[in-house]
Amino acid sequence: MNLAWKEIKKNKVRFLILGSIVFLVSLLTFIISGLANGLSQDNAALIKDLPEGQFYMNEDADEKYNLSKIDSDIQEDILNKEKDAVAFSIQMGFLNDEDDKQQSVAFVTSTDSKLFENVKPGEVILDSSLKEAGIKVGDTLTNNQFSGEFVVKGFVDQKKYSHAPVAFINMVNYQEIYRVMEMQMVFIPGADSSHEIAGLQSFSNKEFLGTISSYSAEQMSLNMIIWFLVVISGMLFAIFFYMMNVQKIGLYGILKAIGVKTSKLFKMIWTQMLIITVISLILSVTLSQVFNMIAPEGMPFSLTFETTMQLSIVFLVIGFIGATLSGLQIKKIEPLQAIQQGEA
Amino acid sequence: MTLFTIDNVRKTFTNGEVKEEILKGINLSLREGEITALVGASGSGKSTLLTIAAGLQPTSDGQVIFEGKNMTTMSSEQVRQVRASKFGFVFQFAHLVPFLTVEEQLMLMLDVAESKLSKGEQTKEVNRILKLVGMDHRKNAYPSSLSGGEKQRVAIARAIIHKPKVLFADEPTASLDSKRSKEVMLLIRDLTKKLNITTLMVTHDEEMLSYADHIVKMSDGLILGNV
Repeated sequence: MNLAWKEIKKNKVRFLILGSIVFLVSLLTFIISGLANGLSQDNAALIKDLPEGQFYMNEDADEKYNLSKIDSDIQEDILNKEKDAVAFSIQMGFLNDEDDKQQSVAFVTSTDSKLFENVKPGEVILDSSLKEAGIKVGDTLTNNQFSGEFVVKGFVDQKKYSHAPVAFINMVNYQEIYRVMEMQMVFIPGADSSHEIAGLQSFSNKEFLGTISSYSAEQMSLNMIIWFLVVISGMLFAIFFYMMNVQKIGLYGILKAIGVKTSKLFKMIWTQMLIITVISLILSVTLSQVFNMIAPEGMPFSLTFETTMQLSIVFLVIGFIGATLSGLQIKKIEPLQAIQQGEA
Repeated sequence: MTLFTIDNVRKTFTNGEVKEEILKGINLSLREGEITALVGASGSGKSTLLTIAAGLQPTSDGQVIFEGKNMTTMSSEQVRQVRASKFGFVFQFAHLVPFLTVEEQLMLMLDVAESKLSKGEQTKEVNRILKLVGMDHRKNAYPSSLSGGEKQRVAIARAIIHKPKVLFADEPTASLDSKRSKEVMLLIRDLTKKLNITTLMVTHDEEMLSYADHIVKMSDGLILGNV
């Protein structure tokens, strides 16, 4: 007999309240997760889109890429030895459009590589978000530190760094703007931490993202909120079922007295937890995916189905733990207690 | 024929350093199909004896023999199986499952007792027993809509639906008025005789003793007399 479902049917309001709370908490978690991921893309899509490998910067740069300068001989040596290696630099700056309106961009330049857009001197390839600012292919853009003009050759999707659209420019133009001859970093795709280079400090992709101060601070706070919400949902289950169990101690005792197995009572709690969580998650996953599709253009929101599924599994596990913890008191209930008590 | 034997059963409770002997060597036999009433003042040990006999708490010494098997040496799972399939319980309060209808309360008991009946046979049996206790017209009702007497009738139906060998009744009429008490006792007597169920009942109500075949008087953890 399915006791779990019969109890839910008889006490709809009680379970509806718990379901609504789980739905709201999970929806909030998905939305914040979408924002965290969106902000992470907005902050470092340029780096996140690179394959796994190792980043190298000067040991004395104190793990700050913008203080790093790779010696040209070392760079030459690495690029000769490693076929896919690329040296690159990133600096925040401005471009003035044809109406002389300043656009904040992240200038990126690199040696010849498939991993970065390569342009000729005087050309620029921009992140497509700048199309919204009215910039088109063929437009000429200027920079206060640059003597010439940049002609827009094209746009690329989802190339952002430090919440600014990326502008790929030629190395010669970069050297003129920032008056620096050396590149900041070298990236070797496919390399691991064992691949050491004298005088340079190596970072995995994840470690390198951690050196971007705004990225780690932003992600840390958002991830803390996400996990806090997940823990809250687990506690909600534990408290809800604990309160229900306290009210039903007499009933459980009598059921045990007449021979109902303790495992059957546990299965009842688990089934109820599963029914409520699955229904709540189906609703919140659907709604968050709909939001993902209709989120305003400028909103940094990115929620993949995989992420919602992973979080849903975490919710189920946490719900299971919460319900089980509250169910431990069932194990302790003695039938005698119930018999000696009044009507449940 | 003796179905149940309580042999020199003792029960001692320890509260800190104080030991209190509640049962001081009880010997009692229950014969098949008969109703035995345990009577005595509060604290005489009658409820403790009933719960020990029903396998709801262990003895400190002595043995409880049911159908030739010593229940005091059984594992808790074996005792649970005996309780589920061979015993029926009626308590002072009906203790029905609030979210199950009258019919479902009985179906649950058949489920717990691992009844071999098919679904259809189970439904027939439930209807038959509900008719016996006069509750067939309320089979779809939930406990919250039943009166105290009706709840106790359902509790009796639940206690006998799986054809137990022994019915344990702990003050089954204590929560009812005298009219309902008589109805319930008559029902217990009629059903246990009809179905040949052995009954051990605790009561403090002397009026109810007229329904018993044997009356066992207890005082201070000992049996004073067996009438």
